Amino acid sequence: MADNKIYWSGLEELDRTPEFERIESQEFPAERPVDAFLSDDRLQRANTGRRDFLKFMGFSVTAATLAACETPVVKSIPYTNKPEEITPGVANYYASTYYDGHDFLNVLVKTREGRPIFVKNNTETGYGRVNARVNASVLGLYDSARLQAPHLKGEATTWSALDAAVAKGLSGSGRKVLLTGTVMSPSMKRAAAALAASAGVEHIQCDAVSYSAVSDAMEADYGRRTFPSYRFENAEAVVSLNADFLGTWGDTVWYTEQWAKNRRPENGSMSRLHAFESVMSLTGSNADTRTRVKPSEQGRVAAALLREITGQGAAVSLDEAVMAAVKVAAADLKKAGAKGLVVAGDNDLATQRIASAINRNLGAMGTTMVLHEQPGLHQGDDKAMAQLVADMKAGKVSALIVDGVNPAYHAADAEGFKAGLEKVGFSVSTALFADETASRCTAMAPTHHWLEGWNDLQIDFERIELAQPAIQPLYNTRQTTESLMAWAGQPVDAYTFLRQTHNAAYTAAAVNTDQDWNAGVHNGYLAVTPQEETDPVFTGADLSGVLREVAGRKGGAFELDLYRKVAMGDGQQAGNPMLQETPDPITKTTWDNYVTMARVDMEAMGLNTYIAQEDPASVVKVNVGDKSIELPAFPQPGQTPGTLGIALGYGRGGNNEAIGKAAYQVGEGGDHLADAEGNLVPIGKNAFGLIAATNGTPGRAAYDVSVVATGETYPLACTQIQHTYMGRDSVVKETTLDGYLAESGAKRGDASWNKTIGLNVHDDINGDGEINALDKKAAGEFDLWHEHAVDGVGHRWGMAIDLTSCIGCSACVTACHIENNVPVVGKDEVRRHRDMHWMRIDRFYASDWDMERGGEEGLGVISTYGKMEEPGANPQTVHMPMMCQHCNHAPCETVCPVAATTHSNEGVNQMTYNRCIGTRYCANNCPFKVRRFNWFHYPGYDKFQNFNPAQDAIQRMVLNPDVVVRSRGVMEKCSLCVQRTQGAKLEAKKAGKPLEDGSVLTACAEACPTQAITFGDLNDTSSEVRATYDNNRTYHALEEVGIQPNVAYLTKVRNTPKA
Amino acid sequence: MQQEAAIREPLILGNKSYKDITDDVVGPIQGAAPMGWKVMITISSIIAFYGVGCILYLIGTGIGVWGLNKTVGWAWDITNFVWWVGIGHAGTLISAVLLLFRQKWRMAINRSAEAMTIFAVIMAAVFPGIHMGRIWVSYWVLPLPNQFGSLWVNFNSPLLWDVFAISTYFSVSLVFWYIGLIPDFATIRDRMTKPLQKKIYSVLSFGWSGRAKHWTRFEEVSLVLAGIATPLVFSVHSIVSMDFATSVIPGWHTTIFPPYFVSGAVFSGFAMVQTLLLIMRKTMKLEAYIHTKHVEYMNIVIIVTGSIVGVAYLTELFISWYSGVEYESYAFINRFSGPYSASYWAMMTCNVISPQLFWFKKIRRSLVATFALSIVVNIGMWFERYVIIVTSLHRDFDPSSWGEFHATSIDVGIFIGTLGIFFTLFLLFARFFPVLALNELKSILKSSGEEHKRVQSEGKSNH
Repeated sequence: MADNKIYWSGLEELDRTPEFERIESQEFPAERPVDAFLSDDRLQRANTGRRDFLKFMGFSVTAATLAACETPVVKSIPYTNKPEEITPGVANYYASTYYDGHDFLNVLVKTREGRPIFVKNNTETGYGRVNARVNASVLGLYDSARLQAPHLKGEATTWSALDAAVAKGLSGSGRKVLLTGTVMSPSMKRAAAALAASAGVEHIQCDAVSYSAVSDAMEADYGRRTFPSYRFENAEAVVSLNADFLGTWGDTVWYTEQWAKNRRPENGSMSRLHAFESVMSLTGSNADTRTRVKPSEQGRVAAALLREITGQGAAVSLDEAVMAAVKVAAADLKKAGAKGLVVAGDNDLATQRIASAINRNLGAMGTTMVLHEQPGLHQGDDKAMAQLVADMKAGKVSALIVDGVNPAYHAADAEGFKAGLEKVGFSVSTALFADETASRCTAMAPTHHWLEGWNDLQIDFERIELAQPAIQPLYNTRQTTESLMAWAGQPVDAYTFLRQTHNAAYTAAAVNTDQDWNAGVHNGYLAVTPQEETDPVFTGADLSGVLREVAGRKGGAFELDLYRKVAMGDGQQAGNPMLQETPDPITKTTWDNYVTMARVDMEAMGLNTYIAQEDPASVVKVNVGDKSIELPAFPQPGQTPGTLGIALGYGRGGNNEAIGKAAYQVGEGGDHLADAEGNLVPIGKNAFGLIAATNGTPGRAAYDVSVVATGETYPLACTQIQHTYMGRDSVVKETTLDGYLAESGAKRGDASWNKTIGLNVHDDINGDGEINALDKKAAGEFDLWHEHAVDGVGHRWGMAIDLTSCIGCSACVTACHIENNVPVVGKDEVRRHRDMHWMRIDRFYASDWDMERGGEEGLGVISTYGKMEEPGANPQTVHMPMMCQHCNHAPCETVCPVAATTHSNEGVNQMTYNRCIGTRYCANNCPFKVRRFNWFHYPGYDKFQNFNPAQDAIQRMVLNPDVVVRSRGVMEKCSLCVQRTQGAKLEAKKAGKPLEDGSVLTACAEACPTQAITFGDLNDTSSEVRATYDNNRTYHALEEVGIQPNVAYLTKVRNTPKA
Repeated sequence: MQQEAAIREPLILGNKSYKDITDDVVGPIQGAAPMGWKVMITISSIIAFYGVGCILYLIGTGIGVWGLNKTVGWAWDITNFVWWVGIGHAGTLISAVLLLFRQKWRMAINRSAEAMTIFAVIMAAVFPGIHMGRIWVSYWVLPLPNQFGSLWVNFNSPLLWDVFAISTYFSVSLVFWYIGLIPDFATIRDRMTKPLQKKIYSVLSFGWSGRAKHWTRFEEVSLVLAGIATPLVFSVHSIVSMDFATSVIPGWHTTIFPPYFVSGAVFSGFAMVQTLLLIMRKTMKLEAYIHTKHVEYMNIVIIVTGSIVGVAYLTELFISWYSGVEYESYAFINRFSGPYSASYWAMMTCNVISPQLFWFKKIRRSLVATFALSIVVNIGMWFERYVIIVTSLHRDFDPSSWGEFHATSIDVGIFIGTLGIFFTLFLLFARFFPVLALNELKSILKSSGEEHKRVQSEGKSNH
């Protein structure tokens, strides 16, 4: 049969046409006229001679060579089948909810071509405002160190094999425990209940940073073991007893926004904040009065406050200065009454109970604090946790499931936990990384990153917040609820399980038909019928024991306070390079933790108090009980003498755990450093271990520690080394609320605290008949250059930053970092003052000295300037966000030889990277020093291999496709998010409507939790930013240089009490 | 022939004939290279190669290998640039300005001073090139027709003026120098015996025949070029100073800079000429032509320009106080009392105090003291530029950005490397080029020669 087949290449062949046969018979179909061509004498007469040929060839070779020198072309592959909801170049936003065990808020996730690249506030339907940790968490999604499959005994395995192993592990006879952080998810609670029912697994919650004492105090006073929800927007007077509620303590993502609402001097009144603390915290730096106390005195300060307000209790011994401050604070609290609030940060039951008593006496319950029946955040139970560790060590625990916490790192008794874990029959962790705990467990069942999975979270009693996946899971991971249900013997996929939690009748057929659900997903929450709640009833017992306890507290020569830094928090994102590089808002130090000390103590010990590029910090050894830690000492203005502060959240991955490349120190060449045993060196040191060593001292403090110099040095990378503003009040303007109110009706430029700077002119412009020093013209009226025609024509982008509202939280810094693909440059480069942040926050301390005082005390100018460089011992602080000021008379624009930086007709100083040749003249001539130079090829040079996201094949997916990644040798700086303004203009054009005020915000303005940053079109007379230009607090920094910026600042107003 | 008073010190010592002059200058070119020359060129070329290596590393890796940062965007790079441009000034001043003023003593030194100018300007030109982040597109500073949407340069930028100033200065200096060399090359050509050498020098001498017509044209061209070069002496460093003067940075933004920079440039240029010539006259046995009188003349120029520079420093300080501008006065207080005060006081000592020693005739006429002080002055002038650039930048308007600058080994390596390249070029010049303008010297032998003067004073004038 096969022989009958005929293959043919065309109909001609099939038909055997004569023409075909003729061609087929000839191997070479036609004579090639080579000879004819060569013998054509026209060729001889042709213009292209040998020399021309060589010229052409030379040109072609050169052209080809030059073409080969171009930057490599990165090919992108178009969709074969375009997903319906994705249009290349157009971002999609998904409402979601962030919860990491500490921060809880609604967010919007921006995705581009299916990749989440940015997290921002959900201001329409959500609660809470992003902070730096939430912002930057999108980077963690793409961390290549994440677990990519389930693991059993260190080997990758399949989910079915893992489930079988867990089933066997759960069949043991000892205690079986599910150890989680505070669970906020109804589905998770349901899964835990299912597991308890089927396998007898008990559920214990522990928090990385414990708030146990707060809940315990509430339980003692009201019988409800609940973390109260504070309502700072209702407070007129707030006293913080070492509670950094604006930075790290409690639900900062809610508090910051609330607190700022009462800090607008235009309202005619402001709330007042008194802080009592030992380490300068973000809250302390924003306080109207800040008093330095020692950790052991916190309880007595609370007791003294209580006595001042209620007369209850005996007098306690406190320093005169502290006592005076207590009296001022107490008077304010009494005046505020129910609108007063005391928050205490120490995890110390005694202090918390006194604070609770003060709040109760003020009548704060119901106004500035609310105590729900159901527990909210921070449900961790220190006692249950301690019992668990004891049982583990005793071998009584047969199975342990760990979810969302990392006790081998942060438990009070981490060493005990680790020892106990070895005796646990079977352990499994659902962590994203093979972290300190997971790597010691029998099995690892990695869950999804929060951007990959569905989740339901409940904090409010009227709604259930929803988290939805913004991307398919990158790796072979499985949602914890799904794992728990599989282990409970009721396998169900996480999505169905979640839907069934809220609608028991849900079936897969109804996946798209439930309109309430669809609206909920769109808005980020499901409305539920609120439960009836009863008001809390005080059932508390006598305080006398507690008061006696705090009165009797004694401190040693040095006391230690374990605090947290704003960017690093409890350390769960230690592998996030953007957070590591975000300068601490107070110390302006990156990539390390250290011991904060008072300058006087450091000088007494002979330690280096000037830390800069080539001036490393002195290393000290802090002995706490039987433990010790060696860290560099940092001179912290405002630190209580005789106290030390060490930040928690550092020293992750002490045993080479794969928690991300950026969590480990690198050498100058960019390779990871290794210690003598070949272990990677973590960044900073873990201070959680010191909590256990405090010998019964409650909370995160130790009342008797010793500190000795080791004689070694260690470099610290600080982004700011000059800490005062040297009396330059054209940079920073500030006043008090009383001063403001006295002149609140003044026109802009007239008030004594915001006077327009005038320059003398040789002309009788004040008309007094003579030319003298009184003839002054406003600095802004001088014009050397012709005016840019931006006023009233088209858009003119502008920004106003309220220094009163800005708390320095750095959410804008990380937002800008991510939005604009700013490279992460690492500790060594930051130390060399080469941080690349487009948006930085300048932190200025007040000095006790000025020229006047120098003159009065008979000091010369030079000595006085020397004194002015020193911050005061307990200085007032200003946080001043600083980025390109987009000067209308920009010094940078005139000096660029190739016109790479120019003024747009929208008032924006724009940088053309392609044109830049890198002379850095513009940066030199910038009065604000906001221009950033690409010193190296950050996306490729080895020095940055272990932390710059652009160098990681997966992590580079976080880069914003709207913003180019800059090459080596070019200058860059804030563009006022030109990609956003251009996008908004296009949208408005498509809609055929004028651009609406507020429809476009820069990344920083969008992220700001206190709404300190206003952005908009100055030519739009109804815009918010335009209105700020008429505000009498508005000024331009360095006005007298005549640069006429498009960014303005609003004078800082402090609500300082009358002396 | 021009007559000169007999009591004037002779410019050419000993009883030299025209042939002696030729022998003294051309002899070393014909002979084998002396050992000392070989040793020196080996050392300097090793340093030069090290410098080139550092430059290649810089270009390959990024400007980050220097110690610059977000606050201090220029430091050693532009310091070296200004320093080298300044050094170049003496050559042009000697050959052009002194020619116009008919100063005969310049004839012994103008050739090497001009060579120094050329090499110094080449070294200076290295720095604006390599300090760019993207040197491969450095040609964008030239106003060339292009297809980038016809992008033009920014004529407001002093850096662009620099490009024009330096390139004009370099080309005029080169042409001037070369024109002067032509008759001397012809003399060498005529004495060369080896065909290759003869060929090379005959090409270099452009067919010079020594006819009266050639000499007339030579004189005319020299005068014209001197006329062109003279304003350049003042314009180049004025324009370089505008890199700073037109900025807004306190410590840079001052109108005194142009004259201050020009006098500083002449000051440092003469110091460098002293350094080079004092070595050269010794090693090449030119004591008869370059002697105490020449050194003394140059030292007088150094006193004058050094004093102008000193006055400028004091004026700056006074104005910073008198202006009442907070930033300006702080910038200067910081200069002499801040973290970089050591540089300031080094500058003050080297540039203001040390040249005043030349008021003493003994020191002014001492070759050893002159040599030592010439080096001191050059160190001082380097520090002057460093002080202006680094101390002004490191603490300007916004205290939050105040920073520090610390030089890296590459900063130092490239500077040392340019010294190596400079000396290598100068040594090659000394070996193969006529180091004295021999034909010009011959023109004053009969008026300023020692023997002539002796005869003249004995009343036996040969006229």
